[in-house]
Amino acid sequence: MQGGSSGIGYGLKYQARCISDVKADTDHTSFLTGTLSLREENEVHLIRLSSGGTELICEGLFSHPNEIWDLASCPFDQRIFSTVFSTGSLFDIDLPFYGLKMETGLIVFFAGEGESYGAAIWQIPELYGQLNSPQLERIASLDAHTRKINCVLWWPSGRHDKLISIDDENLFLWTLDCSKKTAQVQSKQTSGMLHYLSGGAWDPHDINAVATTCESSVQFWDLRTMKKTNAVERAHIRNANYDMKNNHILVTAEDESGIHIWDLRKPKSPVKELPGHTHWTWAVTCNPEYDGLILSAGTDSSVNLWLAPTSAEEDATSESIVESPAQQAGPLLNSYSDYEDSVYGLAWSSREPWTFASLSYDGRVVVESVKPFLSRK
Amino acid sequence: MGAEDNVPLDDKAKRMRDLLSSFYAPDPSTNNAPSNPGTLDAINTSSFDADQYMNLLIQKSNLDELLQRHVEMAAEIKNIDTDLQMLVYENYSKFISATDAIKRMKSDIVGMEANMEQLLDKIMSVQSKSDGVNTSLFEKRENIEKLHRTRNLLRKVQFIYDLPTRLGKCIESEAYVDAVKFYTGALPIFKAYGDSSFQDCKQASEEAISIIVKKLQGKLFSDSESIQARTEAAVLLKQLDFPVDSLQVKLLEKLEQSLGDLQLKTDDIENASMESNDPKLGKVPDSVHITAHEGSIRGFAEAISAYRVIFPDSEGHLIKLAQDLVVKHFETVEQCVKGRFSCANLLVVLRTIWTDVLLMDEVLSEAVLPGFSLEAAQNALKQHVASTFNYLLHDISDALLRLNVSSKEAAEENPLQVALEASKKALLQGSMDVLLDFRQLLDDDLGLLVQLRDFVSDWVQEGFQDFFRALYDRFFLLSGRKSSSSQDQGLTAGAHGEKVLAGLVLVLSQLSVFIEQTAIPRITEEIAASFPGGGARVYENGPAFVPGVMCRIFRSAGERLLHHYINMRTQKVSTLLRKRFTTPNWVKHKEPREVHMFVDLFLQELKETTSEVKQILPQGLERKHRRSDSNGSTASSRSNQLRDDKTNRSNTHKARSQLLETHLAKLFKQKVEIFTKVERTQESVVTTAVKLCLKSLQEFVRLQTFNRSGFQQIQLDIQFLRTPLKETVEDEAAVDFLLDEVIVAASERCLDPIPLEPPILDRLIQAKLAKWKEKNPITP
Repeated sequence: MQGGSSGIGYGLKYQARCISDVKADTDHTSFLTGTLSLREENEVHLIRLSSGGTELICEGLFSHPNEIWDLASCPFDQRIFSTVFSTGSLFDIDLPFYGLKMETGLIVFFAGEGESYGAAIWQIPELYGQLNSPQLERIASLDAHTRKINCVLWWPSGRHDKLISIDDENLFLWTLDCSKKTAQVQSKQTSGMLHYLSGGAWDPHDINAVATTCESSVQFWDLRTMKKTNAVERAHIRNANYDMKNNHILVTAEDESGIHIWDLRKPKSPVKELPGHTHWTWAVTCNPEYDGLILSAGTDSSVNLWLAPTSAEEDATSESIVESPAQQAGPLLNSYSDYEDSVYGLAWSSREPWTFASLSYDGRVVVESVKPFLSRK
Repeated sequence: MGAEDNVPLDDKAKRMRDLLSSFYAPDPSTNNAPSNPGTLDAINTSSFDADQYMNLLIQKSNLDELLQRHVEMAAEIKNIDTDLQMLVYENYSKFISATDAIKRMKSDIVGMEANMEQLLDKIMSVQSKSDGVNTSLFEKRENIEKLHRTRNLLRKVQFIYDLPTRLGKCIESEAYVDAVKFYTGALPIFKAYGDSSFQDCKQASEEAISIIVKKLQGKLFSDSESIQARTEAAVLLKQLDFPVDSLQVKLLEKLEQSLGDLQLKTDDIENASMESNDPKLGKVPDSVHITAHEGSIRGFAEAISAYRVIFPDSEGHLIKLAQDLVVKHFETVEQCVKGRFSCANLLVVLRTIWTDVLLMDEVLSEAVLPGFSLEAAQNALKQHVASTFNYLLHDISDALLRLNVSSKEAAEENPLQVALEASKKALLQGSMDVLLDFRQLLDDDLGLLVQLRDFVSDWVQEGFQDFFRALYDRFFLLSGRKSSSSQDQGLTAGAHGEKVLAGLVLVLSQLSVFIEQTAIPRITEEIAASFPGGGARVYENGPAFVPGVMCRIFRSAGERLLHHYINMRTQKVSTLLRKRFTTPNWVKHKEPREVHMFVDLFLQELKETTSEVKQILPQGLERKHRRSDSNGSTASSRSNQLRDDKTNRSNTHKARSQLLETHLAKLFKQKVEIFTKVERTQESVVTTAVKLCLKSLQEFVRLQTFNRSGFQQIQLDIQFLRTPLKETVEDEAAVDFLLDEVIVAASERCLDPIPLEPPILDRLIQAKLAKWKEKNPITP
């Protein structure tokens, strides 16, 4: 409630789950978000924070053929982004609707057993401001999947022609050629029986390291060999995020048991534990600039800002009893709870690292500044 | 010349004398050096220049003056001449009188020679006469001296011959001191002539002496003799060159042995006291043991004092012995303290030890036994406090863990409640017992404990502090939050084991509250009442018992454990829901035939939670009437009622409009705060758990895409859940809202959201209810 007034709001037409910081845009603080509507025409919004930082302006509005389950902006080209989308069922939907989708030049319809998933790389047209109804240009479709796709990952630290896509069972490494507009599977690895993958994170410090989350653990892969290198056994991990500043630090969000910070050199037990949210902790993300500043979003309709520096307090893992209640209360800097629905989308701005955008399920984007809490450090 | 001195010193006389003295003076230059030849005064100097003088005089003076000067000078010259003449005469006459005196002396010395010779003769004659006397007496004197020496020798021989009989007499009269004196006197002679002339004598006396030695030894070893006598004996033996050291060693060994016996006795005492005190009737054997022990200690103390007097150099050894005894005492005490050992027993033992120590201290104050034992007692008491609390902790966790066993083996009515009561009792009763126990330590006026009183109360407070900390750790260990291994066990073990663990967490939570609200205040009170002083002392190594901190810790622990309990419960439901929603293909769902079984499982789980909560937590105060508590306004609850009606009625309307209505209702309705603070009541906990589960259900639904039948299935399930949930839950509004939310979410995720017709819905629900009643007729 405290931070409720400071946020700058922006409303999407439909429900939405994903928001991404446009990292390659160095002139503006902008975010990409896509709607999740089963029965309506879905949209991708390019939102820009005005130069005064007082309002959010819609820079571009593009129609997207399907509901978007995941969206990621290319870290080196502001016009490129990836989406993961679902098409509903092939069998149950009305025919005209289906036909419309075919017309818009849709990509992959693979035959899952019911609903279908696809993933694609899109390019925003160059003169999108002047066009009446700008169309997204499809650069490539990642059409090798046969299962429900969970996410597409870009290497967060710079230009890299590889992409990773994760579905329920497989991990794909793609080579993307933007000029030729092709994406080819370079390698593929199946996670193994009984490991339903749910998401992943690409290590910003190591171009060959990727973490994937599954029901019972976080697994770490070496992309050169496509072999598992390590695993953290932990159930129900929703989301994982690498610390941009500190190597070996991974933050995970779990359904019921909050947030855990891991030092990957010591995968047995977490370095730190944060209580998380009243209900599930859905997403967690580390600030790209400020050490130990962590945001988490939860299904209790709130976003929590934590301060949990790992490097300075590594020795303090064996907390004594007296301190522990204080420590539990200490790391929570603020709780933004002025949301109407569960918050699924969360992104720090890399251009203005004291700003973050959050997206609640009802389609409301809120950009907040954490500046008032930084001074307390 | 002397006469001239008397003449008044006029110029003339003075000058003449100067002249004379300069004449006789060895160095004429000294007198005349300062004079200047250029002045008229230079006439008296050696460097006098007559021409120059004349020139000067002529230049300076007129004729009259020159004439006058001339007259003066002539007169002076005449005077000087006469003076010179007189001096010569005087000197001559003196010389003549000296010559006369020498002549007279020469004639006087001539007569003396003869007198001297006469004297020499007389002296010579005296000397010769004395020599004569001396020689004539010499022989007689020699004779006398010889006779005297013989007499002495004879007397000694006589003594030696008499020695055996004398010694015998001494033995008879027990005058060992004299005997030893005699014998030691004779000893040099025996050494010199023992082999030849006095052989018999020596043998006889040695025999006598050996008797004496034996008697002395006997005296020394016999405890009946007085200490003085024994000391005397020891001194005498030492004088007789008897190897006293070996004696000493022997004696000390004996003492050590007796010490060992003493030690054994203390062991007996402790065993006896442990055995006898347990049934609470054996005070008599106790005291008997103690008196026996005291007697032996007294003996030991006497022995020590005796040996100290006898062997002054054995002090170090004795000190060591005494300290060993104390050390051993305390070792046994510590051994005892390791087990369950009541303070009363400890007190008995400490009292015994302290009397021992005091007894020994009287005779051996150098050993600093009181200080020494004070230190040892300090350690022992500390250990005792620690182990007491350790046992208390064990008791409590035993009481808690009995829950695991009992509910596994025998199905008790309400194992949680039993466990809670048992652990509460164990905690409070145990703490009170401990305090009472330590109170005894404080009340006792034993010197040892009086000095340690402050320490004891500090230790007890510290002990409580540590105990509660340990308890806190134990709670979290038991709840499986701290150690991942136990949590894994919970996951891998069957549902039964996990269930018990969840109940345990609830018990722990309630116990934490109990500790915070009841136990700690009471203990604080008790401590304040019975352990004064200790708290006043500033404690450097950290505070003694700080009830405020402990209360805070346990309050937070109670909250955390309660949340943990809810989490554990909802986690299970969550897994259930996860399975329910990830397994089927919702897009190709068949038409709903019946309420899905996950509802049963969910309600089952809820029932378990409710029953656990009912055992442990207090009932809320008429919660049903204040159902709008969480969202704080009656308006929303009214709107809910409205919405209820609407949904009921809308079942007859077209489906799409119903959805619109729910949407609209949601828009205008006040935001329902789903996640309110959990209160420590049955209803609040259950409600929170239900809310969390329903929220999870909503989230799971949101992740799926449904076809019409799938949506209808969800609708059916939720509709069925509505009634039983409302019955169990305090906050109907929130639950209603959440249930609606689930349906809304499902309809949003549905490609073709057409709800079931109400009659069909009703029929299916009725069918399910009927089936339910059939299965377990007791539950509604």
